[in-house]
Amino acid sequence: MKTTLKKGLSSGVVFGIVFIFLLLIGFINVGSTMIGDLLGNTENVTSGHLPVNNLLLMLALMGLLNGISARRGLGEDKWWKALLGGLLAGLISGILAWLAIWLTGTLSMQGTALQDYLPSMDPEELNFLRFYSTPIAAANTYLIYFAAFSVAGAALSWLFSIRGWFTKCWQSCKSGVVNWKGTRNISGVFENRWVMLVVFLVVAVILYFLPILWGSYWNYIMGTVAIYIILGLGLNIVVGYSGQLVLGYVAFFATGAYTFALLTAPTPHGIGLNLWLAVGASMVVSTLTGLLLGLPILNLRGDYLAIVTLGFGEITRILIRSDLLTALTNGPKGVTDVGQPNWFGEVFSDVNYMHLLLLLVLIALFIAKRLKDSRTGRAWVAIREDQTVAQATGINTYRYKILALLLGAAFAGLAGALFASRNQFAGPEDFTLMVSINVLCIVIVGGMGSLPGIVLGAFVLKGLPELLRELEDYRLLVFGALLVVMMIVRPEGLWPAARVKFKKPSEKQMKDLATEVEK
Amino acid sequence: MTRAVIEANHITKCFGGLTAVDQVDLVVPEHSISSIIGPNGAGKTTLFNCVSGFYVSEEGEILFFGKPINSLPTHKICQMGISRTYQNIRLFGEMTVVENILVGEHVRLKANWMEAIVHDPRYRHEESESLERAFELLEYVGLSGLENTPARNLPYGAQRRLEIARALASQPALLMLDEPTAGMNPQETDEMVAFIRDLRDSRRITILLIEHDMRVVMDISDQITVLDYGLKIAEGQPAEIQSNQRVIEAYLGPGAAALSEKFKQKKAQHA
Repeated sequence: MKTTLKKGLSSGVVFGIVFIFLLLIGFINVGSTMIGDLLGNTENVTSGHLPVNNLLLMLALMGLLNGISARRGLGEDKWWKALLGGLLAGLISGILAWLAIWLTGTLSMQGTALQDYLPSMDPEELNFLRFYSTPIAAANTYLIYFAAFSVAGAALSWLFSIRGWFTKCWQSCKSGVVNWKGTRNISGVFENRWVMLVVFLVVAVILYFLPILWGSYWNYIMGTVAIYIILGLGLNIVVGYSGQLVLGYVAFFATGAYTFALLTAPTPHGIGLNLWLAVGASMVVSTLTGLLLGLPILNLRGDYLAIVTLGFGEITRILIRSDLLTALTNGPKGVTDVGQPNWFGEVFSDVNYMHLLLLLVLIALFIAKRLKDSRTGRAWVAIREDQTVAQATGINTYRYKILALLLGAAFAGLAGALFASRNQFAGPEDFTLMVSINVLCIVIVGGMGSLPGIVLGAFVLKGLPELLRELEDYRLLVFGALLVVMMIVRPEGLWPAARVKFKKPSEKQMKDLATEVEK
Repeated sequence: MTRAVIEANHITKCFGGLTAVDQVDLVVPEHSISSIIGPNGAGKTTLFNCVSGFYVSEEGEILFFGKPINSLPTHKICQMGISRTYQNIRLFGEMTVVENILVGEHVRLKANWMEAIVHDPRYRHEESESLERAFELLEYVGLSGLENTPARNLPYGAQRRLEIARALASQPALLMLDEPTAGMNPQETDEMVAFIRDLRDSRRITILLIEHDMRVVMDISDQITVLDYGLKIAEGQPAEIQSNQRVIEAYLGPGAAALSEKFKQKKAQHA
């Protein structure tokens, strides 16, 4: 009984506070508009008002969640206890919501200009939140909705737990997969060379036709994702494999982009180098930048390294836009008319470009994979795990850390060149600290050192925000919340890295290899 | 006359005002099992760290087969043929058992990152050879079947053995063991003693170890060095050390030696 009430109380307080927070930043309106869009239930033409049912739906949803969360972890329980817990949670959050709505409503009706303090609190929006009625009536509606749907949510969750529907479903799914894997020996199948070839071909065909089919908008979004996958793979070598927290990764991205831009754009230098050579040059220059940064500082560990590299990233951006280098980099204006890739004079269409990006992503994945499973990759992971012991085991840690940084920088240089040529522009404001943080988040959210994790992370963190345009104002909020939730729920990342499984090499294998070497 | 694997002269290491190791000489003959003992805080591990390159000693020189190794970084020392284990086990926890061994083999492999990307036959040959050696080593230390377990999931005893296996993977001439039997029950300890002996006898590896378990020390050591407050107070074969007055006093306090003499005499009288 005590735990039921306690859970209800805490869930109610949390939901109430979350509601007030969302209200203050204006998310309730955005959320209900999104629900409306989803249901095709948009603006009411006759009255010019937004339909109120979207808002009610949103409230109902919050109430249900509240009820479910109030019962989380309680399992099988008496039905009246469950309902009581739900009711308590609903009432508490309802009272908090009641106060918030009543207060904002009354103040705004008295003529206080709330939007002076909080931009999202303009009278029209508040009017909508009050269902175009009096504060008291609106507040009562909130209270009733929260209470009723919280009870409903609790009841639902009780039903599910008492019948064990959810657990049963989960269990059967799980055992099904396990059985299927067991009988078919699924991992064995994928070791077969021919099966892998067929899988590879199918993937290649899909990847070839997708950019043709889904149009230029999608090509643009997926292009961004692809560039960030390459960036993520590069940073993953530095952070994920060798465990060096480098926060100024954007510096290499910027160097790559600017090298490419300056070598191909008509102004300010008019070199007009062949594009493929320019890509190579970007990678080389980025790598050299990596060397420049790495040689003096890679003896630092942990926090110190993070701060020094953070500064390096910012210095690069400030240098690019400084008066000092305006003659070289065009300063804050940036470099325009950067060369586009072409094939014997024919400029790439967005489809060709996407194909190029996909090819490069695959190559980058291949290289990252091969590195990971090699002597070099093992040395990196050893350094990440325990640098002192790694060195005492005979690894030249300094050299390996520099190697990781150089390879990471080369990846970033490639990504920078692609970025500049796709946008046909390179300006200093494209290379802010946010880029470093974004890439780092891709690595962390995806799963440190995990290649599929990074692809997934790039989709989640760069692809989804582009698709959810309505949420643009809240991108940082969602980003922060996602990181916090990830760190609590799944600190190892969405798709954690798996160590490669080794088998003892058979004698035949050894003989074959020995003869091959002799040749 | 056997050669000296390690010849350390007048090693001194200070931490601030504390002299942790004070003018210590140490000679480790080839194919021997030498032990360093002493009460807590006597400077045993500090001496170990000086030899393996974790610390640079302020004074003195350390020769490994006649070559000075004083100020070399630890990876160079490891390449020359010294490897060690740690008092509190330090494995690469996230890596699997076999990967830990492969990291241990690092110094004996040559493949660089470009060959790793290309996977040329020479690279693949080296990889599978190193893998074969790793599996043999795992069998030798009795960890077969656990190859793909993450090292941190191993039970304590297995972690100890894996750490020794990792040290052996670099094919060292000198293996330094820091309290190899710490936290083991008598049976496990006996197994470890037999294992260490086998390392010397069949693998011809010289062993230098720190140990607190006197039964172990007296059982396997060819030579014992006793430290107390950073000073070397005794050196010799187990029998000599057992009857050494200063050693008894260092362990049991002043006056203990006289007491033990009395006890012995009484025992002799009764007999």
